[in-house]
Amino acid sequence: MEELAISSEVTQYIKIRLGDEFFGIDIKYVDNIVRMQHITRVPKAPEYIKGVINLRGEVIPVFSLRLKMGIEEIEETKSFRIIILKYEGESVGIIVDEVREVANVSSDDVEKVFHSTSEGIQNFLSGVGKTENGLISLLDINEILND
Amino acid sequence: MDVSQYLDIFIDETKEHLQNLNTHILELEQDGENMDTINEIFRAAHSLKGMAGTMGYKRMQTLTHDMENVFSEVRNGNIKVDSDMIDLLFKCLDALEEYLTTIQETADEGTNDNEPLVKGLNDILNAKKGEEPKEEKKTKKSEKKSKKEEKESAKEDSAKAKWRDIKIDDSVKTVIAEGAKNNIKAYGITVYIQEACLLKAARAFLVFKALEELGEVVVSVPSAQDIEDESFGFDFSVIFMSDKPLDQIISAIKYVSEIEDAVGGEVDLNGEEEEKAEETVNEGVPAVAEEKPAVSSAPTQAPAKTNSSSNAPDKKSGKPVVNRTVRVDIEKLDSLMNLVSELIISKNSLVSVAGSVVGSSNLAFNEQIEYLESVTTNLHESVMKVRMVPIENTVNKFPRMIRDLSKKLNKKMELYMTGEDTELDRTVVDEIGDPLMHLLRNSADHGLESAEVRAQRGKPEVGSIFLDAYQDGNNVVIEVRDDGNGIDIEAVKAKAIEKGKITPEMAEVMSDKEVIDLLFQPSFSTAKVVSDVSGRGVGLDVVKSKIEALSGEIEVKTKLGEGSTFIIRLPLTLAIIQALMVVVGNEKYAISLGAIQTIESITPADVKKVQGKEVINLRGTVIPLVRLNRILDLEESDDGNHDMIVLIAKKGDRLAGLVVDELIGQMEIVIKPMGKYAGTTKLISGATILGDGEVALILDANALI
Repeated sequence: MEELAISSEVTQYIKIRLGDEFFGIDIKYVDNIVRMQHITRVPKAPEYIKGVINLRGEVIPVFSLRLKMGIEEIEETKSFRIIILKYEGESVGIIVDEVREVANVSSDDVEKVFHSTSEGIQNFLSGVGKTENGLISLLDINEILND
Repeated sequence: MDVSQYLDIFIDETKEHLQNLNTHILELEQDGENMDTINEIFRAAHSLKGMAGTMGYKRMQTLTHDMENVFSEVRNGNIKVDSDMIDLLFKCLDALEEYLTTIQETADEGTNDNEPLVKGLNDILNAKKGEEPKEEKKTKKSEKKSKKEEKESAKEDSAKAKWRDIKIDDSVKTVIAEGAKNNIKAYGITVYIQEACLLKAARAFLVFKALEELGEVVVSVPSAQDIEDESFGFDFSVIFMSDKPLDQIISAIKYVSEIEDAVGGEVDLNGEEEEKAEETVNEGVPAVAEEKPAVSSAPTQAPAKTNSSSNAPDKKSGKPVVNRTVRVDIEKLDSLMNLVSELIISKNSLVSVAGSVVGSSNLAFNEQIEYLESVTTNLHESVMKVRMVPIENTVNKFPRMIRDLSKKLNKKMELYMTGEDTELDRTVVDEIGDPLMHLLRNSADHGLESAEVRAQRGKPEVGSIFLDAYQDGNNVVIEVRDDGNGIDIEAVKAKAIEKGKITPEMAEVMSDKEVIDLLFQPSFSTAKVVSDVSGRGVGLDVVKSKIEALSGEIEVKTKLGEGSTFIIRLPLTLAIIQALMVVVGNEKYAISLGAIQTIESITPADVKKVQGKEVINLRGTVIPLVRLNRILDLEESDDGNHDMIVLIAKKGDRLAGLVVDELIGQMEIVIKPMGKYAGTTKLISGATILGDGEVALILDANALI
């Protein structure tokens, strides 16, 4: 019984899309998902910081996940979302092309093999998870939010 | 009894008492004869002992008890205050502070018995045993005096003996009559708790506990349950059965700290109480019965002095003994402040809605909005005031520090402080202590010269350090000044070159101000000898960053050979400011109104170029222009033919003209932090949420100049 419990450890990921690739964000970091809204630009900030938004009275910085991972930006579409992450006590928003679903990934199905097309992205991944709907690259939130 | 719920209060109060002791022992060193100071010290030590005892901190209690004994002898004139004794007392205070720190961290006092200190205190006590006769003389004198006063207070005492109002029912009468047969007397006792006491129920509990060791409580008014629930005023009365004499019982009650007074007498069932046995005791001067049997023979000594000091505010110290205050957790105040902030934001949105509804000529509506505005502004001010505390609590520890430094560095120096009552937001007061301490140490260590050098320069032998605080508009200014050597510009330059911070060529052309700014860079210390007082390179840069974190600024004025002044300027409040809303490019920005002197309209022809930089000549003053759109990486919207709106901003004695595209108006804004990811540029000091929910950034005018 015990062994079974350990081997079937399942982590939930929010499955998001950037271009035609799918990524997973560990649900434990996700505080909220909001629609695109007016973002106030912050001068002199790094390019990937798109600015700040007002989320229920708090001022929260918003990252472009594309720019942070070195992927070219595209024009905003209706499916764009801001995922609010809680990380080390601070809230940070990241912009993604689309939010798909919650994916269950068993720890058995995570491999350290990377299939991504672009080399630069690999630094931001912690592994690749197999789900019933195909492969998703699991994002390493530490890498994304730490410089 | 579980006392853990009182731990916070205990810690707070102990801190206060320790500070009090520190201050007064310093005074004692100056004037060893001042009875007011001695009494104040005695009172603080006694309260400390009582509190430590209540909380079960035995080691702390022992140490304070011995200190109290020493103070008591000092008060009785048996011991003369000398410098060694003061040193020992300060060491005791340090030890107590250590206990407190341990308690704060672990809720336990630790295992350090501080035996050398206890022994030192006892040595002082024992050494003076020989001077007994002198004491007697003194006691007599004060006894005479107090007897007179006691007569006056006797009337008052009978009014105070509320126990006489207790209705004794028949069953109790039987008990009392039974007792009388067995030589057990019935006493009526009324106990007064100090009005400043925060642990009324706990004190009452201790009184009951003390009483039960001596006999039996038969009636209590209010009931024991009410007392436990703290539903009583500041006094309670009991009928008490005991075979012990009344003065022993009263002493036992009085031994509990924070008991203002205890009045008692024998219950006479025939309606007449035995007035002879009546007696008052007082917590303020408990030396009497508490110490040794020898002194308890003169119990009347006690009420005389304390009655006057507890009924009327202590005139000498100029501060009321009892402050009517409520202790509030700072977090509650923070959340109150946040709510006020939200209210102001929502008020701002109402105002913007009212303004945008076309043709809204509804007078009543506008009137209500104006009313709401004045209410929120007043509310904000009140909450701010609640959060304001005098810097006193922080700066009070400095005289002691300077004294220690003076001994350590072997330099004579004196600290003069003014404006300790200047008030600042609580969070700022908490944070400002360290930077100030750094600056004072800096003055003591680097600033003041050695005695020989001072003599050569014709300065007084004792160096002076000044700490002046005052309010200046929306700022509070704190100055740390010394009459020492001042900053040696050439030495700083040499050091900077040596450290590779600047090149000799750069040093040639640098202004004095620029050189002094070098001091605020990380790891820069000019002290030739590294001491443990200051000068390990963690100095002024830390001070600067701390002050900037509080949205303040620091500047230095110095004259070689005459001394230097560090001027700290802090905003009164951190959370809400009056701001000017402006448009640059197509973005809205807020600029603190406090930084702006005037708003000018400038024609392009008035802009001149000096050394490649744009300046304007405004009524005879040449002011550099700062084009905000360029600084903020925005596109040029000005075609160069229109008049420009220029905000004249001031920082210290420097001015700058900030060019903006449009003025929106004045607004009360709530400053929100930007977080570590977006808050990296110095140009932006924070963000605020506008009436329409959009975020506008706050420009730091200081960083622009």
